[in-house]
Amino acid sequence: MALGLAYAWVLAPVEYVEADPSRLRADFKAGYREAIAASYSAAGDLGRARARLALLADPDPPQALNAQAQQMLAAGENFSLVEQVAQLAADIVSTPQVAPPLTVALAATASGSPQGSPSTATVAAMPTQAPASIATPTPRPTQTATPTPGPGFVLIEQKTVCDEDLGASLLQIIVLDSRRRQVPGVELIVTWNGGEDHFFTGFKPELGNGFADFEMEADLVYAARVGAGGAPVSNLAPPPCSGDGGASFPGSLLLTFAQP
Amino acid sequence: MRGIVSRLLFPLALGIGLGLLYGWVIQPAQVVDVTPASLRADYRNDYVLIVAEAFAGDQNTALAAERLGILGTEPPDEIVLAALEYARQHSFTAPEVDVLQQLLTAMQTYEPSPAQT
Repeated sequence: MALGLAYAWVLAPVEYVEADPSRLRADFKAGYREAIAASYSAAGDLGRARARLALLADPDPPQALNAQAQQMLAAGENFSLVEQVAQLAADIVSTPQVAPPLTVALAATASGSPQGSPSTATVAAMPTQAPASIATPTPRPTQTATPTPGPGFVLIEQKTVCDEDLGASLLQIIVLDSRRRQVPGVELIVTWNGGEDHFFTGFKPELGNGFADFEMEADLVYAARVGAGGAPVSNLAPPPCSGDGGASFPGSLLLTFAQP
Repeated sequence: MRGIVSRLLFPLALGIGLGLLYGWVIQPAQVVDVTPASLRADYRNDYVLIVAEAFAGDQNTALAAERLGILGTEPPDEIVLAALEYARQHSFTAPEVDVLQQLLTAMQTYEPSPAQT
């Protein structure tokens, strides 16, 4: 029996030829997500994008998308592709899923029989027979955030943050679109005497998709702008703050940029 | 001789048979890292539709061919042609068939650069 098991499990295991996307290898799942994001970018069908992402069975699809966007940024991939992935994550988070469960019009498969399909309770998220058929009843969203980095973003608020728990003097930045939704994947540029740093919103999704921060040094003055063409906000330095015991400490700044 | 068969070979064959039954039917090995080439037909064709929709937006032929490439070693135009036939047989909507047709046309005329081959 051990010989039989060894042959069946190791030497000649059952070959899956009708797998679902949740079984894909991680790198193929990433490619799948990227294609879904690109499709969403072109077609604007958020309901369908949600349903397709559900096929990958990620525990938290927006988080998976954000993580992937960050990995793509780190890998130096095409920024427009990164934007598409981050934008899909942002739109999923910002748009409640209000659509009722979709009625999937089942089309006969080539063999004409069900093929180990998921339960009907999850059919809204996991089309089993003809995924394309979900297109018709899916409402097309009318609002899509436009994360275009550049001169469109202007400073709308600057606040001093006195929070010793932050542990450092941070230049915190939030980027909003014209509808005041946080925008991930936007390039931020911070300059100081003798230095410059580029970073992107969305690397700390737990603090908001349009959030980014930068650690300031107490004896330097900084300027920040959104994208290469953005108007710089200058004279940024750690503000003096007073702690509970009256002791002073360098605080942080919170800048909010938005599209008009 | 019959004693050897009944005492050794028959139990051996029975054990192997039971092992195969258990390993192939009752508790087959769980494969979780499959390639897109193993996707079921409907998922595979929906993936091609995803690529076609993305192509309709960016018109990036090379990127579309690259995305189709993960489905296997078949030429991209054959992959799209198969998806288009599937779409027609399974009542995909007219816009879906249209974007697949556009992708097919692009793939039929696509020639990868030497660096991409």
